[in-house]
Amino acid sequence: MPPTPLSARLRMMTGAPLFLGVVALLPLLDLVLPDTWKFASLVPAIMAYAIVGLGLNIIAGFTGLLNLGSAAFMAIGAYTFAILTCPIYPFQIGFFPGLVAATVAGGAASLLLSLPTMRLRGDYVAIVTLGFGEIVQDVLKNLDAVTKGTQGLNPVATPALPGVTFTVGNYVPWFYLYLVVLIAAVWLCHNLRHSRLGRAWVAVREDELAARAMGLSTPRIKQLAFGIGSALCAAGGALFASLNGTSIEPGFYDFQQSVIILCIVIVGGMGNITGVLLGAFIMVGFNGIVLTKLTEMMARNGWTGDNVLAAPGNWKFMLYGIALILMMRLRPEGLLPAKGVQADMHHDDVGKLPPQGAR
Amino acid sequence: MALLHLDHLSLRFGGLTAVNDVSVAVERGQIFAIIGPNGAGKTSVFNAITGLYPPSGGRVLIDGRTVRSPPGPADLARWSLAGIVTGVGTALAINANVLWDAAINRSAHLKPFPWSETWNAVAATATQGAWTTIPFVIGAAVGVGAAWNAWRSSRCTPDAVARAGVARTFQNIRLFRDLSALDNVLVGMDRHLHARGWHAALRLPRHCREERDARETAMRELEFVSLGTAANQSASSLPYGHQRRLEIARALATRPALLLLDEPAAGMNPAEATKLMELIKRIRDRGITVVLIEHHMKVVMGISDRIAVLHYGNKIAEGTPAEIRANPQVIEAYLGKEELG
Repeated sequence: MPPTPLSARLRMMTGAPLFLGVVALLPLLDLVLPDTWKFASLVPAIMAYAIVGLGLNIIAGFTGLLNLGSAAFMAIGAYTFAILTCPIYPFQIGFFPGLVAATVAGGAASLLLSLPTMRLRGDYVAIVTLGFGEIVQDVLKNLDAVTKGTQGLNPVATPALPGVTFTVGNYVPWFYLYLVVLIAAVWLCHNLRHSRLGRAWVAVREDELAARAMGLSTPRIKQLAFGIGSALCAAGGALFASLNGTSIEPGFYDFQQSVIILCIVIVGGMGNITGVLLGAFIMVGFNGIVLTKLTEMMARNGWTGDNVLAAPGNWKFMLYGIALILMMRLRPEGLLPAKGVQADMHHDDVGKLPPQGAR
Repeated sequence: MALLHLDHLSLRFGGLTAVNDVSVAVERGQIFAIIGPNGAGKTSVFNAITGLYPPSGGRVLIDGRTVRSPPGPADLARWSLAGIVTGVGTALAINANVLWDAAINRSAHLKPFPWSETWNAVAATATQGAWTTIPFVIGAAVGVGAAWNAWRSSRCTPDAVARAGVARTFQNIRLFRDLSALDNVLVGMDRHLHARGWHAALRLPRHCREERDARETAMRELEFVSLGTAANQSASSLPYGHQRRLEIARALATRPALLLLDEPAAGMNPAEATKLMELIKRIRDRGITVVLIEHHMKVVMGISDRIAVLHYGNKIAEGTPAEIRANPQVIEAYLGKEELG
């Protein structure tokens, strides 16, 4: 067979590794920036979201299932992690076992959800996951014997490695631990995408009927996408909880949260792993870094007060909205689209009709 | 025994009878053509064979058997397991707060935690009457019902038919547009690959070896339809005639016993059609039985061993190309009746 062209190989090599390599150098930037502009301490939260985004990318990007309840799986991960590591309960299994347990719990919960629903297509999957997101929030609120209701569970475990101490004050160990987990998640996603399972996922997205006619059991393939993707979402949720020292409250994992995660995948480019990383840095970075720094700067300059405009946090959703509208108008395939999605979004050639059904 | 046997097959959609009591037997190694005017029910027959539509009457027998199979002991075990799991799950979920209080919160202050008493606390609370039994019964019923329903609806689906050795192409091409030509064929080969998801995720040698072999096989399949040079192009970027042949390569990759081609020559010029005829003969020479729907009479008459003619859902004739060409009913169906007088 003809070898993969060198240019294609280079493209494959440079995407995610290059991006993660640059990210790994961010703490160095803190050495030279003035104190008020240091921001690398805010990056571990972005990495947690990037892992959630990678999970949703498997479900929505590779397999084409519109999941509007990804925050629910983040919540399942965060609460499993919190229950198993919080000192008020006798389990206290520690950070790494807790992370593994959260991942497994996310996968198991999604399998339970997907067993009865994966014969559904398109919009119906969106409705089911939307409903599931609301149910999980309500369950967490009302299961107060276990989850302490709206208070959330805290404190949760911080990572423990021999010779390294993880404290709130020093972000560097968090930064590199989370980077390692993120790299592992990227590697996993990349390997899966380029295996028979990844091909089957894309085949289901492209034309479910044709995939069935090739002997693929599409409900099973969708279940696997859902299970693996949600497990990653849950892992991201557990990492985020550990970073915050609490499971946060159930209301945090609402529809808005799911939409932000979906935006991470859409802005970066559906189905592209590097795109998801970029999307996480843009969406969460804007909220966590740009707005935070802007608020600090305005406070330093005395621009405070009761005026709505004085708090940049208030502009957030307006800016998200404008950005999304511009995005959909100018570049609907995302900043770094997967090959082919771009062609679908811009098919001006009338001769090639898009596949029918299957959506 | 015939490889494909349509036994008094009927398909009705509401008041419309698309296929009416059609019986056909296709022998192994034949090239069998189904022809007829537009709307005669040809594609409906294909859809019934491949499990897209359940037959309204009659049966589709592949190698003497229907794909639909009766429940076995494994299915029964699966239903009971689903029932027990859902039942226990429902009972636990309904009582989660109470159970957690009894088992964990009540002794949370004790150090070391009395793990040995936890089970007793759960058991004592769980056996306190109807709030455990009723949810269990309801949950178990739902679980068994759902598992049974899932089994029922997955018995004769297109994927089950494909796994029984029937591959097809589509009248309006249905390739996986974003995937490369090679990947399209690899999806077709999927049911002959065995690496699990976690083998791939961790890049175990077993997965890499299988993947390499699969690529070689897929490449041979592409070369068989003379698309070897297009392996890395995305399916949507291929010219129309190539897309048709890629669909055939993808179907062949499932290693079928029976290949259904739905208008393979549609939109082809005479030179391409001639090449297609040769390709279909080579497929037959590989021991694969071919059933094709075709309007292109040169192709049909040139390669078919037998031909069946459908008209308004009825089979009006079956025979060798020479017999069909001479059949007055067929001529009437295609050209209309001569006005006398």
